[in-house]
Amino acid sequence: MATAVELQREDPRARVNATLGMVFFIGSWSMAFGTLFLSYFILRQRVGIWPPPGIALPSFPMAAAATLVLLLSSVVLHRAVARVRRGAPGAAALWAAATAIGVLFAGMQAWLWYDLVLSGRTVESGAYESLFFGLTWVHAAHVACGLVALLWMQVGLLTGRYGVHRISPVSNAAMFWHFVDVVWVVLFVAFFVL
Amino acid sequence: MSGDHIHPEPTSFLRKHVFSVDHKVIAKQFMWFGLFWLLIGGIMAMLIRWQLAYPGTPMPVFGKLFFSSTGGVIDPASYNTLFTMHGTIMIFLGLTPLMIGCFGNWCIPLMIGARDMIFPLLNMLSFWTVMLGGAVAFYSLFVPLGGSEAGWTGYPTLSTTVANQGTGETLWAVAVFLIGASSIMGGINYMTTVIRLRAPGMRWTDLPLTIWGLFFTAVLNVLFLPVIGSAMILLVLDRVFGTQFYVPASIMAGGGGGDPILYQHLFWIFGHPEVYILILPAWGIVSDLLSFFARKPAFAYRVTVGAMMAVTVLSAVVYGHHMFTTGLSAMLGESFMLLTMIISVPGEILFFNWLHTIWRGSLRMDTPMLFALSVIFVFGLGGLTGLYLATISTDIYLHDTYFVVGHFHLTMAASALFATFGAIYFWFPKMFGRKLNETLGKIHFWGSLVPLTIVFCTMFVSGYAGMPRRYYDHTSADYLKPLQHLNVTTSLAAFTLGIAQLVFAFNFIKSRWWGEKASENPWEVGTLEWTLPTPVPHYNFKEIPNVVCGPHEFSNPAIPDGKDWIYQTEPLAEQPA
Repeated sequence: MATAVELQREDPRARVNATLGMVFFIGSWSMAFGTLFLSYFILRQRVGIWPPPGIALPSFPMAAAATLVLLLSSVVLHRAVARVRRGAPGAAALWAAATAIGVLFAGMQAWLWYDLVLSGRTVESGAYESLFFGLTWVHAAHVACGLVALLWMQVGLLTGRYGVHRISPVSNAAMFWHFVDVVWVVLFVAFFVL
Repeated sequence: MSGDHIHPEPTSFLRKHVFSVDHKVIAKQFMWFGLFWLLIGGIMAMLIRWQLAYPGTPMPVFGKLFFSSTGGVIDPASYNTLFTMHGTIMIFLGLTPLMIGCFGNWCIPLMIGARDMIFPLLNMLSFWTVMLGGAVAFYSLFVPLGGSEAGWTGYPTLSTTVANQGTGETLWAVAVFLIGASSIMGGINYMTTVIRLRAPGMRWTDLPLTIWGLFFTAVLNVLFLPVIGSAMILLVLDRVFGTQFYVPASIMAGGGGGDPILYQHLFWIFGHPEVYILILPAWGIVSDLLSFFARKPAFAYRVTVGAMMAVTVLSAVVYGHHMFTTGLSAMLGESFMLLTMIISVPGEILFFNWLHTIWRGSLRMDTPMLFALSVIFVFGLGGLTGLYLATISTDIYLHDTYFVVGHFHLTMAASALFATFGAIYFWFPKMFGRKLNETLGKIHFWGSLVPLTIVFCTMFVSGYAGMPRRYYDHTSADYLKPLQHLNVTTSLAAFTLGIAQLVFAFNFIKSRWWGEKASENPWEVGTLEWTLPTPVPHYNFKEIPNVVCGPHEFSNPAIPDGKDWIYQTEPLAEQPA
């Protein structure tokens, strides 16, 4: 049962504070991933021919499908946050759908790794594999954190701890998930398009 | 006023003193933490200096304690670990927690009129993360094969498994990562707090310069600590999972492999802003202290802020001057040289502003002021010698010599440390309700400044004469034997410097519990923290203050009651037309 105190609307100033803090965090994380991408481009330039000839590459169709899946989860999550903001019904269900799609992405990511390992390419095989595994590992760690955050918010939405009266944790978790999504798109472009 | 960040006063011991979210308690935790590591790092410096002055001679006292297996002689591997961990500890676990962790936490809410940091829980997490980082760094010294031996910069291939198979190096990388994460959390907190929680009426131009320095440092922390974090992740992947980011091992397989120079880029993209992370709060603190103790407004406040802002921006684009000897393309090298030279312009503006601030002031030579003045001196020495290192032609000769060691110790170590000491002497009365003893403070000051100048100026001479840094035993090379007396001079001065710090330690402990009780505003300064009673209550400000004037309104003829200072909450009298 939500008490009267809990249903007080969140102080709009506090909401701005929380959002601003999250924006700075995202800025910081962008620098962390920017560093990884810089490493990618420097090593790629050192290697010369890219991808190095004669090695098995991760599956393009699966990576493209994973990209679409992750984008879809972001779109669904965005709709869920909009519903939370309006206090509209069905927010928790949409949120659950976005989380489930996120889990599906994690599965596809695991398949990408497994497929590559099956064709004999491991993280120790060379610069390409180091970059592919290393960068996707770091990204996957953020996906895992994002999924934990999404589940946490899911529980909060279901118990009424979060909702229209307290939205900043929800919108911040969503912001983090969108960020993880954007990083994946850059990863996809770096490894499969360029 | 946002009520969100106000939390009730805790009652249990654990929540009050250990897992506290109160910025004042966290500031003191950072202070004890930083002082502890300063002591450890300082002892390491003494051990290094002993080995350099008297190679192969058993060290008295400490030798028996730490190096009993060799009869008190420091062995080469331990020596490598000592200079590596001395740098790492002093930068990441000594100065950063003290200056940014302690004084960032202490000053920001109190000086801008806030009841706490904006994210108190994140603040606590920041402290416990650096605590964990410190524990990992400490533990790394005792694993098989010993601690990191790759230098504080951790360059590959020395830091990869090619050179060092032990877990010490890996733990070093993990520790740096954790400490970086802590700094990022702190930085986000500081930035958001300064932006969102300034008291009503406090414009950006009413902020004390200390806050400006800490704010710019927070920006750099948030932007550039993630870079070292990522570089450390790649290093750990290389060491533990056999990736090839930094090891050029797979040239035969696929025509490619890692690149040790990649690490140097990543490290210095972080590393150069890091020296400004350490010096910007020092500049801010010094700018304030000089004004407070010269009883004059800080000269050209806005220009000082602009200069610090320019340094913050430029600090991101000069890192290549650390890499002139790596075969950097000539055009890139010259660009970095030019940009590095340009950064001295805002640096000089700061100097002139400081000199103008004290010019014809009514100087009060209390210990905080002495330390603030000494920063002008030691940073001047360090800054001027920096020009030789920024110039490619001279840097190629001076690279990796003691000239570099002298330069960066004077700038980022001595200046930051002296500003921190100034800050400790200055804010101690508000923190603990007692004053540090002035006589002992002055002994500490002169006992620090004179030997410190000798230590690092002698290093300029020996470096210019060609003495390389990080060597275990300079007497093993014939061409360095005539320079050994310089090493002895440096070491004797360094030991004096070390002993002077014991005076400070004694003063700190004695004054903390048995010192002379301080009045609520012993320095007669008008910034917001001095409007508060001592000890500062849990909620800081009973009423959020309304700020009506700047932080440096000293000797303003419009100050009523014949005082020469005014609180930031008090209005100046109407000026006669």
